[in-house]
Amino acid sequence: MSRIGVTAWVAATVVFAGSCATPPKPAGVLRLQTTLVGPNTRLTLLAAAGVKVNARLKPALELSDGRVLRFDSPRLTPDSAYFAESPSALAPGRHTQVHGTLRASVCDEGAAVCRTVVLGL
Amino acid sequence: MSRSALLLAFSAGAVVLGTLALESSSRVQAQASPLLASRPDRRPARPWKNESWLNADKPLTLEGLEGKVVLLNFWVFTCYNCTNTVPSLVDFDRKYRDKGLTLIGIHTPEFPPYAGEHDKGNVAQKLKQYHIEYPNAQDNDSKTWKLYGIRFWPSFVLIDKKGVIRYEGVGEFHLNDRNYKLWDGRIKELLAE
Repeated sequence: MSRIGVTAWVAATVVFAGSCATPPKPAGVLRLQTTLVGPNTRLTLLAAAGVKVNARLKPALELSDGRVLRFDSPRLTPDSAYFAESPSALAPGRHTQVHGTLRASVCDEGAAVCRTVVLGL
Repeated sequence: MSRSALLLAFSAGAVVLGTLALESSSRVQAQASPLLASRPDRRPARPWKNESWLNADKPLTLEGLEGKVVLLNFWVFTCYNCTNTVPSLVDFDRKYRDKGLTLIGIHTPEFPPYAGEHDKGNVAQKLKQYHIEYPNAQDNDSKTWKLYGIRFWPSFVLIDKKGVIRYEGVGEFHLNDRNYKLWDGRIKELLAE
């Protein structure tokens, strides 16, 4: 199968949109985009406008089988504190749905505090 | 529509909007500009019971600090806002330790242990990196975080000589900026009592 993009908006409980035609749900802070790449699935964490993702504490997806996937990107802000490009992780296998717990440390633009977002997928 | 009905409708709308804005977060919701927050109602500080300490020969207790002004700083080394504030805290420690201020870092991890925040060696390395000489407690189980109802990194609790919480607040500040001066003034006020 060629690359298929599926966007899932992460809101209060989850989660997964079946196709690109699905209108996005009201924006949460983060959304998870999955793309099938060969035998694997690339998970990309997209932040809402005005939200920065903490690069010092790489976002994590704790899978239901106990594995932990960490999101990363080589492009950081000049202070190396935040991702300048959406971080991603490669999940083995081809998935249209992921189950687990997503953790990310996020900061609002201009805000002086950060917060942890924990979402059940 | 009567005035009271309008008010009720507006309030209900605000509640709905507020609810929609909430996230499924186990810990925190950031609010804009909470820096100046302080509780007008004074309440006794609650005794923390952290067992693992750095920069301290033995665990510090609230009871043992009677007669001291205590500034608790809830932080974690992976928090940029927290580490940006450290120079100001180091400055407070240097200026006021001999005058009766005890600054205590409460190091509370954001993520589970796999992220490395729970590791005492990692914390020790960061204390050295940021020239932190004041005591730090490892709050790996978040008990002190929860005891004080903390929701943000970084957060601050200022306790007077009698063990009463006098000021609380959150958010990054820098040497000699407005909020640095605010906290500086609060510390001086309590030291003078």
